[in-house]
Amino acid sequence: MCLSLAVSVKWQKETFSAVEIDASQPPYVFKCQLYDLTGVPPERQKIMIKGGLLKDDADWSTLGVKEGQKLMMMGTADEIVKAPEKGPVFMEDLPEEEQVVAVGHSAGLFNLGNTCYMNSTVQCLHLVPELKSALIKYPHAGRSSDLDQSSHLLTVATRDLFNELDKSVKPVLRKKFPQFGQLHNGSFMQQDAEECWTQLLYNLSQSLRSPSCSENPDTVKALFGIELVSRVHCEESGEESSETESVYALKCHISQEVNHLHEGLKHGLKSELEKASPSLGRSAIYLKDSCINGLPRYLTIQFVRFFWKRESNQKAKILRKVDYPVELDVYDLCSNDLRKKLEAPRRILRDEEGKKLGLKTNEKSSGSVDKDVKMIEAEGSSNASGESSKTTSQEDKEMHLTGIYDLVAVLTHKGRSADSGHYVAWVKQESGKWIQYDDDNPIPQREEDIPKLSGGGDWHMAYICMYKARLLPM
Amino acid sequence: MAPDPYSASGSGSAPEEAPVKVPSKDLKKKDEKKDEDFSEEDLALKQQLELYVERVQDSDPGLQKVALDSMRQEIRTSTSSMTSVPKPLKFLRPHYGTLKAYYETMEGSDLKKSLADILSVLAMTMSAEGERESLKYRLLGSEGDIGSWGHEYVRNLAGEIAQEYTKRQGEEAPIDDLMELVQQIVAFHMKHNAEYEAVDLLMEVEDLDLLVEHVDSTNYKRTCLYLTSAARYLPGPDDMLVLDIAYMIYLKFEEYPSALQIALFLDNMQYVKQVFTSCGDLLRKKQFCYILARHGITFELDEEMAADDDNREALQEIINNTKLSEGYLTLARDIEVMEPKSPEDIYKAHLLDGRASAGASVDSARQNLAATFVNAFVNAGFGQDKLMTVPSEASSGGSSGNWLFKNKEHGKASAAASLGMILLWDVDSGLAQIDKYFHSNDNHVIAGALLGVGIVNCGVKNDCDPALALLADYINKEDSSMRIGAIMGLGLAYAGSHNEQIRSILTPILNDNQAPLDVIAFTAISLGLVYVGSCNEEVAQAIIFTLMDRSESELGEPLTRFLPLGLGLLYLGKQESVEATAEVSKTFNEKIRKYCDMTLLSCAYAGTGNVLKVQHLLGQCAQHLEKAETHQGPAVLGIAMVAMAEELGLEMAIRSLEHLLQYGEQNIRRAVPLALGLLCISNPKVNVMDTLSRLSHDTDTEVAMAAVISLGLIGAGTNNARIAGMLRNLSSYYYKEASLLFCVRIAQGLVHLGKGLLTLAPYHSEHFLLSPTALAGIVTLLHACLDMKAIILGKYHYVLYFLVLAMQPRMLLTVDENLKPLSVPVRVGQAVDVVGQAGRPKTITGFQTHSTPVLLAAGDRAELATEKYIPLSPILEGFVILKENPDYHEEN
Repeated sequence: MCLSLAVSVKWQKETFSAVEIDASQPPYVFKCQLYDLTGVPPERQKIMIKGGLLKDDADWSTLGVKEGQKLMMMGTADEIVKAPEKGPVFMEDLPEEEQVVAVGHSAGLFNLGNTCYMNSTVQCLHLVPELKSALIKYPHAGRSSDLDQSSHLLTVATRDLFNELDKSVKPVLRKKFPQFGQLHNGSFMQQDAEECWTQLLYNLSQSLRSPSCSENPDTVKALFGIELVSRVHCEESGEESSETESVYALKCHISQEVNHLHEGLKHGLKSELEKASPSLGRSAIYLKDSCINGLPRYLTIQFVRFFWKRESNQKAKILRKVDYPVELDVYDLCSNDLRKKLEAPRRILRDEEGKKLGLKTNEKSSGSVDKDVKMIEAEGSSNASGESSKTTSQEDKEMHLTGIYDLVAVLTHKGRSADSGHYVAWVKQESGKWIQYDDDNPIPQREEDIPKLSGGGDWHMAYICMYKARLLPM
Repeated sequence: MAPDPYSASGSGSAPEEAPVKVPSKDLKKKDEKKDEDFSEEDLALKQQLELYVERVQDSDPGLQKVALDSMRQEIRTSTSSMTSVPKPLKFLRPHYGTLKAYYETMEGSDLKKSLADILSVLAMTMSAEGERESLKYRLLGSEGDIGSWGHEYVRNLAGEIAQEYTKRQGEEAPIDDLMELVQQIVAFHMKHNAEYEAVDLLMEVEDLDLLVEHVDSTNYKRTCLYLTSAARYLPGPDDMLVLDIAYMIYLKFEEYPSALQIALFLDNMQYVKQVFTSCGDLLRKKQFCYILARHGITFELDEEMAADDDNREALQEIINNTKLSEGYLTLARDIEVMEPKSPEDIYKAHLLDGRASAGASVDSARQNLAATFVNAFVNAGFGQDKLMTVPSEASSGGSSGNWLFKNKEHGKASAAASLGMILLWDVDSGLAQIDKYFHSNDNHVIAGALLGVGIVNCGVKNDCDPALALLADYINKEDSSMRIGAIMGLGLAYAGSHNEQIRSILTPILNDNQAPLDVIAFTAISLGLVYVGSCNEEVAQAIIFTLMDRSESELGEPLTRFLPLGLGLLYLGKQESVEATAEVSKTFNEKIRKYCDMTLLSCAYAGTGNVLKVQHLLGQCAQHLEKAETHQGPAVLGIAMVAMAEELGLEMAIRSLEHLLQYGEQNIRRAVPLALGLLCISNPKVNVMDTLSRLSHDTDTEVAMAAVISLGLIGAGTNNARIAGMLRNLSSYYYKEASLLFCVRIAQGLVHLGKGLLTLAPYHSEHFLLSPTALAGIVTLLHACLDMKAIILGKYHYVLYFLVLAMQPRMLLTVDENLKPLSVPVRVGQAVDVVGQAGRPKTITGFQTHSTPVLLAAGDRAELATEKYIPLSPILEGFVILKENPDYHEEN
């Protein structure tokens, strides 16, 4: 057997022809030769000869390599792949509570028997971060004397519930939440969500106003309160008086002429009332004309879909279709004072939109950053009601209302009367996605389906809409 | 018919026409009401014939002869037209009885024979059903030129011969006289463009050999086309016989590529060899090699087939598929799809609003695994992608490492193996890129690298046998994931090779009682793949012993199904050869017995279209079982495997499967979508698509999962927009159910397999040849899908890589004589069935003209749109060598 033979070695796309093998030396020497050619260290080389690997200590004579034979070499000088020191965390490994982040929305609430009205209300209110933070600050024990026991309990329960909703993906069993029904009539009956909503807000406003939350004396009012200025006018006597009031929701009256939310709101701001006229000495019809004098951060609008039907002795429902916009402008419902204040920010907003800047996103993100200290603009609150939102912190830019609102939550009702049927909440998440909270079952929805909840059939129809103010930093 | 009032009227007159006409006119007036249809000439002819009939019965032989001759003349001239019943025959009908009676009284003479001839023709319309008088008188007659009586007569005769033949076969009577007639008829048919009638007759009389001497260069193509198509519908050994004849005819006319295709269909290596030795032209041999390579069998050329060493090496290289990767990339570059695609490009989540997961900040291992597979399927064979092969020098460690480690445990194996898929067929750079994972300290990564080596080498052979060299060391390692990686890698790399070395290293594992069940299962499958369709005794024995040895509890494991399947693959398409093993399987433990039985049966008859077997399997599915038995799943798959052979059976199977959905038990319903997926693989039929779409919302999640995967299978490599849309909607529908979402993702990856350049269809060459390895790969996956939760959704998701066996570019790439790509205009259109059609029918319809390389969809056929070149293969698929046409003259 000759001591040296030439073979060709194929490595990746290259072929090295006529590589000499010194058969008297171990294959390691051959590998070193290849190291010179390819730069692959001998220990990383794999040389294949007809279905076998060349071992470092093999004997050339037994391998039967022939002159001119083609060998194949595999191997690279590449760095060996190492696992990153910190492996990724997989959703599957997380405890279930933490998986919420990945799901992108919070949990549903179990129906404890006819409690969908409350579930949906809570889901809608849960959307308001300012309310959440106010609740967190609410002390557990520090109950002030002017609050009764039940409203304290309710507040605490709401706080706990909100906390739980944030953490979990599993439907939350609302075990700590006192029965709404117990507060009212002690039964587990289906209730009107609007009643629940007002009641809850009222309770919260009571408890959160308590001196212990010193920095935000009346959070709920600041967030939801609407200042109304009304002119009460009597046709007969020509008497005129003006009064102010603060409400938590605008009412959208539904009559034959109303096809759109705006019309309904206008209707709702005009009312007739009968009261004793001092000048006439008898009761007379007074016309009450209201307009908005102070706008809240979250504008709640209630569709007055239920009326008391005497014949059937129940709250009947008006199925009429009333369109509502995703973007609501309440400018023409405002009082002249307020309009003046709104004009400047609105102009800026228009200009900026004209420039097609990504204004909306900016505002939203900034709005959610400084949620704790956001307050309604200062001037708007200096009126008779003693609105105390004149707190502007120095480090934050002042946020101005524009009178333009974006739809963030819809509470819908399906069914024919207020005490029956089913309530569901449709809530826009921070990510911009809509989720339908059907008790314990959150279902993602498409944004274009939301305006379809306007009624006129047996599908879910909007009962309460919540709008979030579009703010402008100035 | 009423007694003819004119029969005597012309009796006195001479046979000339003129005198006859006069009375006929008068008579006609009389009789106008009665028989208005007769024109003057008809009436004359009628009377003329009646006269002949009378004369025939005359005592004067001279007159008789004249009458017979005239009658014959009359008939012959008229039967030349085939459009209507010839007038003379019509008018002679009433006299058939008379003539027949007279014939019996005649003395034996030439005249008698002449009369027999005429009677034979008349019998064509007159003879009672089943009497075969035409044949009878033909045999008694003068045996003159058969064609002179017209085409219709010959056909009629052929029909009677067939009947007579079966009768005589039953009585064991001699058939020599018949065969003589057959000779005449066949010769006549073959000359007159009625090849298929000749073939039919010869098949009836079981003497196809006669055909070979009658075919000529003008009709052999049509004859063979008819033979090969008819073979699909013939029972038992007849089909083989028919194909044998077709093979011989092709060989006779040097139509070697077609002969080779039949040889491959018969799986007869002797014939393949004969094709090589018969043909002397190197270029044509190269084309043969391309055909062999597409079929995916291992074939070693010897000196007889190619004498010259260099030539042989060049030919072997083609068979080894070494240029497949290059050709595929040429296609990809031409179609401009080289740009790698990421899983997100496939999911197209932006088209879905609302439901798409809102920027999940935490990785989901399952979703990452799905992305790994989608990435592998979509970028298969392109050599680049956006997850695994991103330039590793970008940062230390490289992003590819990053993606790898975004998978969990066994997920890393699939991730590392996906590199093999991305670099599919490109052994040189594939091995170089996989190399680094061999040095990992994570067993799962090494397992993936081993599997990746197998995938890269799938369908490609290399002299140095790198897969064997690299993997052999690992099959006996401690860690079972590494072992499985190596074993499965070997199975993929050497599928269909019948490689002795593999057998010698793998069978000991089967005999090892200590080996874990999953290792055993994958060993059985790999052996089944390597020895697919070989009927290898030793391998069969090894698997059978394993099945007998294993404990009863192990036999109930989901993975155990791979053992009978491995056994079945050994007999893939081998029909009766399976019987001995099937007998043995009856002695198995009852847990696996029926499963084994069904699997063996369905594998053995896969791709045969055997209706009896389909019925048998349907019968199995019709039973409503009390106990939860698992054998009905493979029975349902078996229906699809057997029936997928040809279009008609396929349609019927789809219908039968619909019925199974209605009344079947749950385990049957779970298998039905998979069977549909197999029947229409890479061929999205709208009705099947709809059925699967419906099932994908089934309340039973297993049914839904199977339907989703099958949607991927039927759309595999088609980029079908409708399926893609369906899957997108499913991805939002199932966004919360991780396992269903995983299936949806896999299906999405499959639909965009190789960015739409690949197909999974195991049939090629115009749906004629069935690649055994491809079918084996698909069937293995489908069997794994019968228990989705335990296997694909468990830790054996890498069984999805078995599909690599079926992956082939669905292209037509024309190359010149130096095998360099050559762009020529081709027409691509829907294939038309031209079997048995007259003239030169168009073979494609609704065609468009492209220049090669082009993509061919299921059911598409291509033809050259230029005369400048001559293709060396009649079927334009895959690689086709073009030769310059010497007779071509450039216009202008």
